[in-house]
This record gives sequence, structure tokens and C-alpha cells, in this order.
Amino acid sequence: MARDAHPQAMQPHEPGRTRTAPPKMPAQFPFAGNYRSYILFDATGLVYLLAGLVALRVVWALGTGPEAWARVQAQLSHPLYVLFHLVALAAVCFVAVRFFRLFPKAQPPRIGPAKPPPAPVILAGLYGAWIGLTLLLVAILSGGLFG
Amino acid sequence: MSEVKTRKFVVQRFDPDVDQAPREQSYEVPCQRNWKVLDAINFIKDELDGTLSHRWSCRMAVCGSCGMNVDGVPTLTCKKPVDELPDVVTVEPLSNFPVVRDLVVELEGFMEKLTKVKPFILRAKERAVEEGTHRQSPEELEEFKQFSLCINCMLCYAACPVVANEPEFLGPAAIALGHRYNLDSRDEGAAERNEIFRGEGTVFSCSYANECSEVCPKHVDPAAAINQAKFGAVIDWAKHLVLPRGGK
Repeated sequence: MARDAHPQAMQPHEPGRTRTAPPKMPAQFPFAGNYRSYILFDATGLVYLLAGLVALRVVWALGTGPEAWARVQAQLSHPLYVLFHLVALAAVCFVAVRFFRLFPKAQPPRIGPAKPPPAPVILAGLYGAWIGLTLLLVAILSGGLFG
Repeated sequence: MSEVKTRKFVVQRFDPDVDQAPREQSYEVPCQRNWKVLDAINFIKDELDGTLSHRWSCRMAVCGSCGMNVDGVPTLTCKKPVDELPDVVTVEPLSNFPVVRDLVVELEGFMEKLTKVKPFILRAKERAVEEGTHRQSPEELEEFKQFSLCINCMLCYAACPVVANEPEFLGPAAIALGHRYNLDSRDEGAAERNEIFRGEGTVFSCSYANECSEVCPKHVDPAAAINQAKFGAVIDWAKHLVLPRGGK
């Protein structure tokens, strides 16, 4: 049997005269059925938190001096850090794909007289912008631009 | 003659006069091939155990009465063929709702939420009868038609993880219905409803799990309605912020 939901979930403000059994959580929540993808989506927040802490550490090393910078660069080449960044990349891709899948239907049918383009056009725009920005960042970081 | 296959139905029982907590009871049901889950539950009620309580009415996915959790999934039992289920089937009342008896849940909480979104046409000034009917083009109808197909079966509430944890949350069907009237060309109450939608426990409580839309038997897509309503609520808020008298 599923876990208990909030005891007030879907309760009327004035309780009826009949004693009721307390509400239960959805039976498949949180790790079965479609909830798995939703929980995974939420859990990627932990990966972003850790990635943010790593970024702060890198910035702090940059401000401390050349020796600290060299040390942090050496640490970042450790296989565990590489693995963590691969996990972070996978998390970003998963979130982006899920967000893009749900984005078109969240568009209002019209804004004033203007109607949003059809879903395939919105999706093409989102994926196009993602690929374009990724290529731009790769160009900047590799020194191809402003090098 | 239809082929018959016996399935075991494990049904949740709860008698508020006797039971301290819900319990399970099993029934062997000879299911015919073309049966839906509701047919099996009606067989239990009619032939095996007359004390079982459940709601049903139309048997054709219109009235929205027979929603239950079948093998953990919120399901309209008159629509779900037994042939798609394993040999052992669990049937429970809808999750997230207080249970009145056996498979019957308390719906009064939903009715209170529904009234909050003003699910009817609001007009600044009622049109006189002699002015004729409101004309609406097929394109205007198409903008909200999908959201008007809701049969209030409550499957979306049973699937929503936010409903389970935030008692104030208006929930999928109520917001979808409010949004349906916001999109109706005859309605003039969008600003009023958007103010409600900006309040606590409304559209911004939705974390877009999308489960409501997955289980909806009428393809209303309440998750789309809620997230479209977020947009409308923000636009209205911005108008109030920058335009004199909220742009009215």
C-alpha cells in the first residue's frame, strides 16, 4: 500500500459526518512509471549544486594565484572529476530534452493577435539555438574566436 | 460464446463503521474477453460480495464516475480492458483523496476548489436577449475546445504529486477549466481568474510532472492548460505593473 499523502490533501474545509480513511500518495510515486523521469529531472538539481560549488572553487583558485590555479587544473583532470562532468553533461542534456518536449504545449494559443508557430517549428528553434550556442561556446573556449 | 479467463482481483476495502484502516480482499472473477475492469467490479458486487461499494454510471467514459487505481495507475475502469492486465489485478480508490468507503472517495474538496476558479462565463455587462446570441467562429472554439472535454473523473488529481503534498493546490482539472473560460471569446473574466491563478497554491505550484496529462482519459492535457495559465497570469501581472489601470 502506498505512503500517506498530506492528511489534508483534497479534504473539504468542513469535514463530513462519515469517518474517512486518510489519502494515500500515488501508488507509483516516486520511482515507478512516469514518475521516474520526473524525479530524475528534479534530482539533477543536486548535480547543478555540485557543479556550482566546483565552479566557485575554480574561481577562488583563479583569484588566489598561479600556483592555486595550476593545482586546481591538475585536480580537474582526475578521472573522478572527468566522470562528474560527464554526469553533469548527461544531466543537462536530459533536462534540456525533457524541457523542449514539454515546452511547445505550454505556449498560449495566441498572444494578442499573434499565434505561436507550430510545435515542430518551436522545437527546431530550440534545438537550433542549443546547437548554435554550443558551437559558439566551443569556438570561444578553443580560442577560435577572440583567441 | 466468449472465452472466459479467471483473474484474481485484490480490492481495497474500508468500512468506516468497522475498519480502523483500509484492508485488502481478494476475489476470483471469471472475466470474459471483451470485459472492462468495471465489468469485473460489477460482477464482484452482483455475484460475489454485495457489500462492495464503488461509483459508476454511464459505462462509456462520459460521466467520469468510475475512476479507480488499477494496478497503481489512475484509470477509468469502464475504459480499461481486462485483457490488458495481468492475472492478478489490484483495485484501490483514487490516491490523494480521503476514502469514504471501499472504492468511493470524498469529492467535496474538489468541488470547493472548482468553485474558486469561477468555471462559467463572466461578462462585464450581460447581453440583452434582443441583442441575439454570442457568435463564435470555429477558430475561436478550437482555442479552448480541448480543455472543455474534461469529465471531472479526478484521475489527474490522483496522479499529481503536488496535490498529494500541497492541500491548497487548486489542481489540474479546476485550473484547466478556469483556463478554458479564459480562452473563451465570450468571456470577460480572464483578469479576475488570473488574479486567482497568481495566488498561493495555484498555477505556480505546478512543477510540470505532466502525470495529469498522461492519465487523462479524454486527452484534455491539464498540464498544458496549467502552464499556459502561468503565461497568462504573468502577462496580466506585468500589465498591472506597467500600464495605467492594468491596461483595461
